[in-house]
Amino acid sequence: MIMTKPNLLRILLWIILVGIVVGSASVYYIFNMPRRNISKEKAVYALEAKQLISEFKKDEDSATKKYLDKTILVKGEIKSIRILNNHGMVFSLEDEMEGVSCSVDSADVVNNALKIAQFVKGSMGSFKGRCSGMLMDIQVINCVPE
Amino acid sequence: MNKLLLCIALGLFLNTVGAQNRFFTKDAKINFNSSTSLEDIVAESNQATTFIDIDKNEVAFSVLTTSFKFRRALMEEHFNENYIESSKFPKAKFSGKIVTAIDWKSEKLVIVEVKGQLTIHGVTKDVSFKAQITPGKGKVIANAEIMVTPEDFAIAIPSVVRDKIAKEVTIKIDAVYTLYQP
Repeated sequence: MIMTKPNLLRILLWIILVGIVVGSASVYYIFNMPRRNISKEKAVYALEAKQLISEFKKDEDSATKKYLDKTILVKGEIKSIRILNNHGMVFSLEDEMEGVSCSVDSADVVNNALKIAQFVKGSMGSFKGRCSGMLMDIQVINCVPE
Repeated sequence: MNKLLLCIALGLFLNTVGAQNRFFTKDAKINFNSSTSLEDIVAESNQATTFIDIDKNEVAFSVLTTSFKFRRALMEEHFNENYIESSKFPKAKFSGKIVTAIDWKSEKLVIVEVKGQLTIHGVTKDVSFKAQITPGKGKVIANAEIMVTPEDFAIAIPSVVRDKIAKEVTIKIDAVYTLYQP
């Protein structure tokens, strides 16, 4: 079939229109892209807090490369529990100063209240979160109790 | 291990065993604001570790850059991947001295001058700023504001978005220190 000029124009207009809609939708999505939902992510590494501490103490740079921004599942003895001003909580595993600090955001404290209520100093705790590196302690943020 | 914090935490401890001279917190709040009329850019971390040694008037703080939260996930991604390059430079830190004389027993709010070195994005610069400090029994409350220019720390901001990010960024620090008892 030979396309007449008005037909070709109509098709072109449609292509441009679809392009604009898809383009704007993509820009809108990227601009408002959702945050990572750690509770739905699978842990890349699952390990004992003691092992994580020893890896960071042995070679901080390579441990940072390995774990930074990765979702990890750590398990250890809870040595301290702190409640922050914004009602988030921090659980220190194995050592308060130089252990693994797992911080749970306030919304996740509410969503996991039953599990969190069971945690006391001296009990074992497992947390899945995003490793943000090491200061004095190794910090795991956006944690959810497992 | 952050050697700076460890030095202040342990090194000073060995010199003055038993003295109650160091205060710390691991939950200090650091936020920064680089908003312009075009865009609100505010980020906050509640996970800064900081020490004050009241005998030597020394202060140190340190924060992991991936712990900053922004209003939009996209901003967080740009901050960590393009600007601060968190995978290369995961920490920002400051160490310095309170240069104004301060009576740590006064329990009154004082405004002091702090001077030291600030390291962001792997670049260290001398900075000085004012801080409000309230010494108390077994605790110290402190807050401060530091003004920085991203370009001073070799943070490249593409010209397309340069107008959306403030030329000078305000870093605010709020900390409630308790006595450090190792």
